[in-house]
Amino acid sequence: MKEKWSHLMKKDGAKTVAASVISILIGLLVGCIIVIITGLTSGNMDGASVWDGVRLVLGGILSTGRDASGSLTFGFNPTNVGNMLFRATPLILTGLSVAVAFKTGLFNIGAPGQYLIGTAATLITALSIPTSAVPSPIVWLLAFLAGVLAGALWGAIPGLVKALLNINEVLACIMTNWIAANLVTWIFDNSVWRNLEEYGKTNYIYKTSHNGVETARAGLEALFPGSQVNWGFGIAVVIAILVYVFMTKTTMGYELMACGSNRHAARYAGVSDRRNIVLSMAIAGALSGAAAALYYLSGNTEFYWQTYQSLPATGFNGIPVALLAASNPIGVIFTGCFMSMLNIVGQQLTSLTAFNEYITDVIIATIVYLSAFSLVIKLWLSGRKKHKAQPPAVPAASAADGKTEKGGEDA
Amino acid sequence: MDSENVIEMLHITKEFPGIIANDDITLQLRRGEIHALLGENGAGKSTLMSVLFGLYQPEKGVIKKNGQVVQINDPNDATALGIGMVHQHFKLIEVFTVLDNIILGAETTKAGFLQKKEARAKVEALSERYGLKVDLDAKVEDITVGMQQRVEILKMLYRDNEILIFDEPTAVLTPQEIDELMATMKEFAKEGKSILFISHKLNEIMAVSDRVTVLRKGKYIGTVDTKDTDKQSLSDMMVGRSVQLEVHKEPAQPGEAVLSLRDFCVPSRAHKRNAVDHVSFDVRAGEILCIAGIDGNGQTELVYGLTGLEKSSGGTATLCGEDISHASIRHRGKNMSHIPEDRHKHGLVLDFTLEQNLVLQRYQEKRFQTKGFINRGAVREYANQLIAQYDVRSGQGPVTAARSMSGGNQQKAIIARELDREKPLIVAVQPTRGLDVGAIEYIHSQLVAERDKGRAVLLVSLELDEVMNLSDRILVMYEGEIVGEFDPKQTDVQELGLYMAGAKRAQEKGGRPA
Repeated sequence: MKEKWSHLMKKDGAKTVAASVISILIGLLVGCIIVIITGLTSGNMDGASVWDGVRLVLGGILSTGRDASGSLTFGFNPTNVGNMLFRATPLILTGLSVAVAFKTGLFNIGAPGQYLIGTAATLITALSIPTSAVPSPIVWLLAFLAGVLAGALWGAIPGLVKALLNINEVLACIMTNWIAANLVTWIFDNSVWRNLEEYGKTNYIYKTSHNGVETARAGLEALFPGSQVNWGFGIAVVIAILVYVFMTKTTMGYELMACGSNRHAARYAGVSDRRNIVLSMAIAGALSGAAAALYYLSGNTEFYWQTYQSLPATGFNGIPVALLAASNPIGVIFTGCFMSMLNIVGQQLTSLTAFNEYITDVIIATIVYLSAFSLVIKLWLSGRKKHKAQPPAVPAASAADGKTEKGGEDA
Repeated sequence: MDSENVIEMLHITKEFPGIIANDDITLQLRRGEIHALLGENGAGKSTLMSVLFGLYQPEKGVIKKNGQVVQINDPNDATALGIGMVHQHFKLIEVFTVLDNIILGAETTKAGFLQKKEARAKVEALSERYGLKVDLDAKVEDITVGMQQRVEILKMLYRDNEILIFDEPTAVLTPQEIDELMATMKEFAKEGKSILFISHKLNEIMAVSDRVTVLRKGKYIGTVDTKDTDKQSLSDMMVGRSVQLEVHKEPAQPGEAVLSLRDFCVPSRAHKRNAVDHVSFDVRAGEILCIAGIDGNGQTELVYGLTGLEKSSGGTATLCGEDISHASIRHRGKNMSHIPEDRHKHGLVLDFTLEQNLVLQRYQEKRFQTKGFINRGAVREYANQLIAQYDVRSGQGPVTAARSMSGGNQQKAIIARELDREKPLIVAVQPTRGLDVGAIEYIHSQLVAERDKGRAVLLVSLELDEVMNLSDRILVMYEGEIVGEFDPKQTDVQELGLYMAGAKRAQEKGGRPA
């Protein structure tokens, strides 16, 4: 067993996964420590509520509320799980967006802008084609494609700027993010899509269900009663698999990866590196656009349109999702779910204890911080072996022991 | 303990996943000797030196200095023990002056302020004493490669190192500079400094070293006194079989011109003049034309302009009757194979596997893809065929990461990929750089075989041995121009050296005296 484990740990992929798991564990640990410190230093909480907080941080997804005696109960909570999948949907896609760019040697920090432009295109399409004239699934599809296309175009801009003018894509992405924020605000300002019917709400756009457009839930509401989940999650998973196939099995993916790993060698082989930079950013943008489309087409989400002062967190959270998954498209499915699970945990903390959801922001922040270090952790995992092997090497120098300790080499 | 050994590396074993880089190697360096370390690529020379320099920790074995066991955990420890190294690729800061580079990391300070005057005096004294001429106030980027090497040597002397490691020091030098370096090394040895000289150039080892230690495939083969051996037996020890040092080839049967350059110009990235200035020549089918010259005289740019990596700024290049001076890289590739100068920059995608690299030039061919999907089976089969045919060795066959392969096998993979494309023109830039005798023999015979198949070979090389050995015709390039054409049978290294250094040119065009 132990031998098997050490053999597994020799593989690069296993080390990558281990590094991510370590980041996550440290993040959760820091979350627990903060719960303990805030709990013990504030007057209105006792040891029991601290223990509640810790349990929720670690297992909030399985929380089923409190029983009659007031203690926390745990078990399978279909609402939580459903909501987790629902919120994971856009995160998986923005995560893919960042991951694809990473794989091709680019840093797509423009996901929030692409997400916003995708949102606008999706909502406008979904709300302005009357479902009385066009069947709603067709409108859904058109709105989805509009979001994807708009995201792709928005992503292509930094790509073009880099390919033609050699301007760093990070710079261009940051600028296009804010252009998007202001552009979207301007588009919806005084538009006919503002929700003026429900008083008390300002600056929201109609839900797409206002026009009878929403993602199918067929069967999922029975599986996860009380949650918002729909088949958008399935679409995200399928897209992740498609991205994986595209990157690893096609000539285009091969070219993109070659450009990303070694632009000079790709050029040498006759690959147009400029075209590939634009293509890569366009694909990344399309994925962020798809994230927005699936989120807002669910029919029960509202878009706060006066967004010129803030960028959507879903876009930025794609970065830790991609980093934690080491840019593996399949891994992104799981890390996307994990990040949305933390979101649910925050909700549980707020509703069941005196702690609030911001604890989970700290956990996420810690994990983001550590995920940037996952390479260091990986090196540390490899280095540990070396150091373990080293001490016996010094006394064993008498050369008398020859080759007897062959088995110890992978300790 | 034998006190005349200043450094002893005893029974060093260093393993990497899947490979034993050093297997029970013992190296004993005596005071005041020049000790050559000879071995093929992947024989473990670099690993052994990295162990000595504290970059790797050995699994087994000890290092002793003057009979005392020492622990070298990092290069600082090595420096403290008086071990200095001139790396194959110089570790200099280009925008710093020579003096700043020499004192960097070992600055004398007073109350936190640099004391450059003392440092300058010390460096000047050293430079005087050993005849190592350098311009202390010039920036490194402006001085010649030979002078950069002298800077590296002065760096070691400035730190009072007494064990000097030279890693392939002659690769970038002209024949005259090599002679000077050899004399300097002998001078050091006479003063009691000990020199480890890593090389696979047998001529130089025979000329300068006292003893030779030979490694092969990570194993210690033996240590011999130079005076008791000869080139042939050293190369046999190194390769483990009998090697042909001379290339055997029939006289060339040149045919039609495959490539014609007329007034070809390529701009320089470093300065405003053309790096390649109105160059005209033909390469004919069935001949090996060699461009000789010292590094940095426009050879790299000539190849870039020819292969399309850089845009040409004037003149024409005609390949197989078609003007390619403005064609795309891929279009040019239809009639041209290119073995690039820098195998890590251009030749390979190091993060890819060997098989992915072997199809780098032809993944888009029908054979390897169906409707945009890569045909894995065909790629694997082709990779296995090339690996067998060209004897590319690697840890895990076609799925080995290119990064983990030895330099020689990386180069073999590139050669396999390029030659198997069977194009009429082969552009080979320093195809044997950093390779060992066995691999060089192999690559040379492959190039000759391609020539005999009627292909045109344009060889760019900095190694005069290679130039003399392999080519059917030699052009010498100096400062972007062709300064002479030679028949290898009617010239010698000394004459080429004069043209390479710019001291002579075939037709004076009122150029400046050198």
